[in-house]
Amino acid sequence: MGKEECKTMLDALNKVTACYRHLVIALGSTSDSQNLREELKRTRKKAQELAVANRTKLTSLLKDKSISKEDRAEYERLWVLFSSSMELLEVDMKRSLEIGQDFPLKVPTRHLIQTGMTGSTTTVAARAMSVQNMKYEADSNIDTADLRELQCEIGQVSQMLEEMEMKVQVAPWAVEAKQEAGAELKSNMSVGNSSVGVISICEEEPKEEDGGGGGQGSGLGSICAVLVFIVIVGVALVLGYLVINMS
Amino acid sequence: MTIRTTRPQRDQHYRPRIHCLKKVEALVVEMQDTKSGVKGSEQKLNVTSIPHVITGKDIVTWIVNKMKNNTEEAQVLGTMLVAYGYIYPIQNHKKLVLCNDASLYRFQTPYFWPTQRWAAEDSDYAIYLAKRNIRKKGQLEPYEQAHYNHLHKWLNHKWDFIVMQASEQHKAGKERLKSDRVVLDCQERAYWIINRPPRRTHSAMDTGPERLLDPSSDEKITFDQYRRMNIFYQQTIMRSRVKSSVSLGALVKYVTTYKNHDPFLAPCLPSNPWQTDNDAYWTMNMRSVDVPTKMRVERWSFSLYELLVDLRGRDDFKIFLKKEFSGENLAFWEAAEELKWGTASSMSAKAETIFKTFLAPGAPRWINIDGRTMGLTVKGLEHPHRYVLEAAQTHVFLLMKKDTFFRYLKSPTYKDIQKKALSPEAHNFSPAQLEQNAQNRSPGIHPIILWQQEEVEKAKAAAAAAPIDVKAMMSKVDRKK
Repeated sequence: MGKEECKTMLDALNKVTACYRHLVIALGSTSDSQNLREELKRTRKKAQELAVANRTKLTSLLKDKSISKEDRAEYERLWVLFSSSMELLEVDMKRSLEIGQDFPLKVPTRHLIQTGMTGSTTTVAARAMSVQNMKYEADSNIDTADLRELQCEIGQVSQMLEEMEMKVQVAPWAVEAKQEAGAELKSNMSVGNSSVGVISICEEEPKEEDGGGGGQGSGLGSICAVLVFIVIVGVALVLGYLVINMS
Repeated sequence: MTIRTTRPQRDQHYRPRIHCLKKVEALVVEMQDTKSGVKGSEQKLNVTSIPHVITGKDIVTWIVNKMKNNTEEAQVLGTMLVAYGYIYPIQNHKKLVLCNDASLYRFQTPYFWPTQRWAAEDSDYAIYLAKRNIRKKGQLEPYEQAHYNHLHKWLNHKWDFIVMQASEQHKAGKERLKSDRVVLDCQERAYWIINRPPRRTHSAMDTGPERLLDPSSDEKITFDQYRRMNIFYQQTIMRSRVKSSVSLGALVKYVTTYKNHDPFLAPCLPSNPWQTDNDAYWTMNMRSVDVPTKMRVERWSFSLYELLVDLRGRDDFKIFLKKEFSGENLAFWEAAEELKWGTASSMSAKAETIFKTFLAPGAPRWINIDGRTMGLTVKGLEHPHRYVLEAAQTHVFLLMKKDTFFRYLKSPTYKDIQKKALSPEAHNFSPAQLEQNAQNRSPGIHPIILWQQEEVEKAKAAAAAAPIDVKAMMSKVDRKK
């Protein structure tokens, strides 16, 4: 059905936007590199493809006059999701242009800020592109050529957003959210309300220097540890009994 | 390539308003240079160690060497860097100062620098709070929880998007190295402490109303502007000047009289409402309070202008003048003020009444001004305008100042009110009480109620100020005899 397709595509766009945000934050810092610039380029190309696809789908759905009121409300909600994603993406793209211009890579001495980030962002980009491994093929003038392309793409995105606002008559403030406050604490969200899997609560938290929070996370871990301990003690008792019986 | 979009700008043109940010940026880039900048070290957490951490002491020494100033100035400059968000403290993350000791700091990533021409939007903040909610499993700090609830109400139409984006960003973050995750979390937290500061955190961000100018852009001054600047400066030189001994003497006199009354220089009793959220100071100094505070009464003795400008003081002065039967000067002064500040349509009517009551020969409240001024005023009243009574008003004011004011200061009325005046004690709130005060702020008195009270006062004053009929008084006195 049209709705399910829309929802999966919006999910994908959402994922790509989130990954793009992560990549842009790393720009200009010590984890910046040629690879990062290429990852940014690929991610935003993918984002644009998804955006165009989403837009055509949603506009065709919304133009259909013969849909029921609930359906229309649902499509408006999806439209608001889509336009918020696009606005976020546009801002991030503009910011990446600014930072990219301020911190060029092809100069003899690079002035990248020592922020403490050292790892690479390959895995994030791989997640965005939904591939297992990223392959890099960029040539050496990634700086200038990439930035020019980026300006063009920003122009395209702005134009698309402008068209969207002019042509589609959706009042964003009239949409009611389906999630209530604190909904993110439950299992991972997708556009549809089905919960796919449960996140593990007790995973490794980045320990904060002030030691705040995170106390509850170790509860489940400690229960697991206690169970394992009991099992080991039981096995030891059984073995001991056997040993005593033997001798 | 610029695209002129006709898209309605739903957000304001955000322009960081602080001029110095470009220069500060250059300084920061130099500071973090591996060869000539501040030496970084590693920070050891449980199993990971994160590089590029710097101590406050090192920063201060580096600034002293680079800018050739002393330690205090370097510390102030460093505090500015922290307050703008270029460097963030790791240990005491809410206190945005640079301590000249071994406390640890780290550089902020350029995405979160304040020079970015993008305002810290509410939707971004909502996404951040949702992510924090996931990480902290619902245990947000109280101010964060308040913001969260507020944003949930006002950004409700985008809430699905916010939740989805927050969970996706959280999951994407898990793909990175553990140390990078910690650093990213610290960076975001520092950014939002600067842009949405919790109570009593002093952030230096200043957005203010929208301006058409961009303060960070370079300005080219044209030839015509230079020409006009030159003319202006030449004319300034030709102005008549006051000797600096005279002007400085006046300044010194002003400062010595008013220094205890200035809320910046002296503590405000009982407590400054802007700092402690307790409005006892304002309720005690209202217009229609029975017993004024000692500071207020002392202020009345500085000059007649202070006495008249404070309406409570004016009331007191009126009581005194009534006893002395010389209230017509003050009444004329008030009437002239009303004419100056009143509506244009009521001016001719007011001018008529003023003439009949105060200036006509044989008027019930005739004021005693010299012949020349009287002649000018009467002539001007034929075609009344706002400032027609200016000369007479000044004369009357001087009369009051030179004669009545000093008698007032020595009078039993004034001495009485000096004795009765309150001297409130200073409040001494603990931080918990300050939080309590902040949450229980009252909206204050509604302006309509204040206006009604004022109308009542005016009616009473009008009734009480009905011109004392001299003949009736004399006949009463005769009858007593």
